[in-house]
Amino acid sequence: MRGSEFDEVEFFRAIAASEARALLIGRRALIALGIPVLTADYDFWVHIDDIASFNGAAEAQGLHPTRTPDEARARGRFALENDERVDVLVARSVPTVDGVHVAFVEVWSRRRTLEVGAGVQVAVPDLDDLILTKRFGGRPKDLEDIRLLEVLRKEET
Amino acid sequence: MKPIRVPSPGALARIREISERTLTADEMRAALAAPIAAAEEEETLSLIRWFKGRYPTPGERLAYGRRAYRRWAAAQAPESGAPVDPDPVE
Repeated sequence: MRGSEFDEVEFFRAIAASEARALLIGRRALIALGIPVLTADYDFWVHIDDIASFNGAAEAQGLHPTRTPDEARARGRFALENDERVDVLVARSVPTVDGVHVAFVEVWSRRRTLEVGAGVQVAVPDLDDLILTKRFGGRPKDLEDIRLLEVLRKEET
Repeated sequence: MKPIRVPSPGALARIREISERTLTADEMRAALAAPIAAAEEEETLSLIRWFKGRYPTPGERLAYGRRAYRRWAAAQAPESGAPVDPDPVE
């Protein structure tokens, strides 16, 4: 499938229908929440036991995994690709560069859902947790995103 | 008006190297402790309010994000062949 044929809403619908515990993170989540930043790809954090169901949902959009579920579990991340790219984190817990361990199950328990199409929901981390995920990579550009998210958090409280 | 010169591939690589490096724990802590200046906060709030007002739903905002990326990619230096990913994989 060509990327131009990619149907984003159907992609999110398929993920929701798969019941995979999948959190949209990264800049695409910032955009959905109300921060206009630029990004090419999608980033998800998926429960380590739900890789196969997540991949099944992505398959309908012609996205193919770069690794088997076992390989992905061993490496902690993989990607789904065609003309689109979806980066998938599958670790149970991820440390930030400043040493905070962030557990998927805790972030999932605090998630919020956003309606991205008629009856289609996508799960994103709570703002505090989304900020923590930006500390995984710890790049200068992540700091910029953290500052944007802090202002959004202030706006929402 | 003086035309903008496209930086050399070496300069672009160096910029990318700087922007993609991983901060140390101390650098991260220092950055997190730095307050957001009032002017920066106001500018960011203005941007967020415009975006959420113009595109009230998450679905509309995501669609805008895809359009914006396509526009950006189309405007990249044609001689390079492919756009540089503005948000590359970690």
